[in-house]
Amino acid sequence: MLIFSCTSNPNKSDSIRIRWVHDPETLDPMLLPNQAAFDANNLLNISLLQADVLTKELAPALAEALPAIQLVGDSLMKLGYRIKPAAAWDTGRPVLASDVEFTLKLMFCPGLSNEVARNQYRFIRAVLADARDPRRFALVCQGQAIEYQKASGEFFVLSEAALDPRGQLRRFALADLQNRPAAAPPDSALQALARRYVAATTGHISSQLPGCGPYRLVAWEKDRYLTFQRKPHWWADQLRPVPFVLQARPRLLRYVIIPDAATATLALRRGDLDVYPQMPAHEFARLQASPAARASLSFYSTPSYDVVTAGFNTRHPALADAATRRALSRCFDAAGLLRATQLGAGQRSTGVISPADSLNYNDSLALLPFDPPGAAWLLRQAGWQRAGQADSGWFRSAGLHGGRQQLRLVLRYRADESLFATIALQFQATAAGIGIPVILQPTESGAFTMALRTGDFDMYVRVLKGNPFMFNFTPVLHSSSVGISNSTGFSTPASDRLIEAITTADTRVHRARLLRQFQALMQQEAPLVPLFFLPNRIAADRRLRGLHASSLKPGYSAATLERGPSSSPTP
Amino acid sequence: MVRLVFWRLARTGLAVWALASAVFLLSHRDASAALLLAAPTAFDLGATHTAATPAQQLAAQRAVQQRLGLDRPLFYLSRNANPRIGRVQWHWNGRRNQYHRWAAGLLHGDWGTSFRTGQAVPARLRAALAYTLPLTGAAAVLAVLAALALAQRLAAAPWWQQPLRVLLTAVHALPLFVVALALLLVFANPEVVAWFPAYGLDQSPEVEASAWGHLATYLLHLVLPVAALTLTAMPELALQLDAALARELRTGYATTARAKGLAEPAVIRHHALRNALLPTIAQVTELLPALVAGAVVVEVVFALPGMGRLLAEAAAARDYPVLVGGVLLTGAARLLALLLADLLYFWADPRIRWQS
Repeated sequence: MLIFSCTSNPNKSDSIRIRWVHDPETLDPMLLPNQAAFDANNLLNISLLQADVLTKELAPALAEALPAIQLVGDSLMKLGYRIKPAAAWDTGRPVLASDVEFTLKLMFCPGLSNEVARNQYRFIRAVLADARDPRRFALVCQGQAIEYQKASGEFFVLSEAALDPRGQLRRFALADLQNRPAAAPPDSALQALARRYVAATTGHISSQLPGCGPYRLVAWEKDRYLTFQRKPHWWADQLRPVPFVLQARPRLLRYVIIPDAATATLALRRGDLDVYPQMPAHEFARLQASPAARASLSFYSTPSYDVVTAGFNTRHPALADAATRRALSRCFDAAGLLRATQLGAGQRSTGVISPADSLNYNDSLALLPFDPPGAAWLLRQAGWQRAGQADSGWFRSAGLHGGRQQLRLVLRYRADESLFATIALQFQATAAGIGIPVILQPTESGAFTMALRTGDFDMYVRVLKGNPFMFNFTPVLHSSSVGISNSTGFSTPASDRLIEAITTADTRVHRARLLRQFQALMQQEAPLVPLFFLPNRIAADRRLRGLHASSLKPGYSAATLERGPSSSPTP
Repeated sequence: MVRLVFWRLARTGLAVWALASAVFLLSHRDASAALLLAAPTAFDLGATHTAATPAQQLAAQRAVQQRLGLDRPLFYLSRNANPRIGRVQWHWNGRRNQYHRWAAGLLHGDWGTSFRTGQAVPARLRAALAYTLPLTGAAAVLAVLAALALAQRLAAAPWWQQPLRVLLTAVHALPLFVVALALLLVFANPEVVAWFPAYGLDQSPEVEASAWGHLATYLLHLVLPVAALTLTAMPELALQLDAALARELRTGYATTARAKGLAEPAVIRHHALRNALLPTIAQVTELLPALVAGAVVVEVVFALPGMGRLLAEAAAARDYPVLVGGVLLTGAARLLALLLADLLYFWADPRIRWQS
């Protein structure tokens, strides 16, 4: 057996093997519950616009160009698209405007797991087909925002002919489906369509949805691996030159699911794995320090758009005033934490916009200092007084209602991530130094999500995931989202107005000005403390070409990977 | 005897049903986490370009509830607070409730579908068991055989009795993840010795190989995980059996056997062992539910898709149908193990039969 293991060198395979931590669970293009599901769908399906990791912009994929914008009155926007003439399904049938309209209608078809997509694309109210050109259409959007130009093209386009060959969904207008009451009597055509869709997304891989992407799924062993095979004749091969977002070079792409980081590192060292994305800092540093690993691996580190933040529950009386929150913010040693947890990589920030985004990042603001004496001084300014005994904590009168408030904090974080534990322990130690008792509550992931939803915390530490395309703070910081996704419960009329103005800004320059104002306001109000942006670390086989490490998720370009010639054996 | 077994089986069936019902009711009682994880709200920056109104979010939540079958009352009876009269009222929901639908489905062989993947629960459990049973089964058999062999040798009081007892106690004290990681870092590490694969069951299915080649690869991948499980399960069995044998060897019948001129190994094998087995039988049958429930630590470390990982991930993701299915299976294995232990006791010591 040992002899067999030595002779079956997996490197002889022409597949490129990439590590995933979790199984994608489902490849339903309307559900996309995690990053793995999104990456897999990117290989199987194509959207009108796709993220280009080289330019960090959304680039035309199925669409010929970015949509032409036409404002209609003061509340509507028309986005004119045309699908590339070469775009076709595997059957040879062209991808048409009717497929786009079908996909949008499918998002509102009852009985499907489309609740997230429904809320995400509700702003598209109608699809206006061009009678003369079946590839040309206009999306009518409710509202006017520059972000609609890109957001309108991000969904994967599905085949009408494969899912609804009789065109039964055509008798419903998009708006009818959007406005269909939940209690409406079931429609047999919609039910049959839902059944076909569910069968295609949950059944055997042979019955999977046919996509117009460059790959087809040939193997899926749950919790083990997924293998994608390049289609021998794919429509985008005819394009000259092939746009970056439509390049698909590897013949076989294999995503292997290895939950444990140490195991994945060993697999990479042994040559059983080619790409290890999102590598933990200490594993990355250890491999970089090893001469043997340096000889066989390449290392990439790029800034990401994920920011580690602490949040305050502003509904609690002790944390309702900005002065107290600003004082507590000074108890975080962001620079020290960055050194300890990310080994110096990553980037500190004044706000939740990445410093890499030079247009929108407010560089006139100062980074928050680590200043425990300053924190104590600010607490006194906020009306807090230290009790007589050193370990009794801080108190203040509760205003008109009488009574006393005590500054005593419960800090929640996800228990499965050592980064959060380190931050929480540092904060607890610093706070204890100035007499603030902090109780740490490491919480299981699902329970943590529930605690954020129900406001069962004083403070939390978590990662806020971002991207360079969308700047909508409504779910996180607007009053309309309090009790839903605005965990801090923070909102002021001024911040609400600013958030609304950002989402409806008509030019990038105008939006950038508003975003800078917003960052200044957030630093002043401090409902969140942005600590630092995480780096994205990738280690890969040295022979791989075309990895294009990027700040955009998943941090590299899988479809442009190629295995270069074998290097001479390492002594 | 047959009546007794039948009666015990019926009791076991009822207990399994009660256990699964309790898990179903307890888990589904707090369905809000499942709803939240099934259709996550946009907690991140720029996750959506349009924010849904509270009414739209509520409508989306109702749609998820309906899709997952959580829109019905949980049980036949529900308790509602009536603010008008200022007290709690009980309400009869009839058969239109979640428990009734689940129980009726279960009686018809429908275990439900996963909240996360939409797949049928039995299919998910079957797939996981196909990986778990060879792993845990092989480990259990090896652990029992090794424990039997070692305990008999130890009982004969060789010179290495004490050092081996110390070693077994030390290994027994090690957590499973330490043993698994140590094996991995020693035997699958190119910087030490890379004799065995680091993860999974076959790294390159696209590489052509004969059936024997595939079998050899499969067995090679199982070596380290099975070794980790065996090493952690065996010391407890061996030390217990060793202690029981030592006690038996001090009894009068053992002295009589020696007086008859029997050699010490023969005294152990033919006289002491059967009497010493009683506690070990209980221990071995304890392994049966573990065979089904899998070994989450080993499955995570060696990237094996078994029952342990399935159930742990189902619990984390609040995938209640998979979780309840897993509990049903593991609970049944546990209760059957108790029944098996009783039957083996009857075999090992007929006096127990009379006492019962």
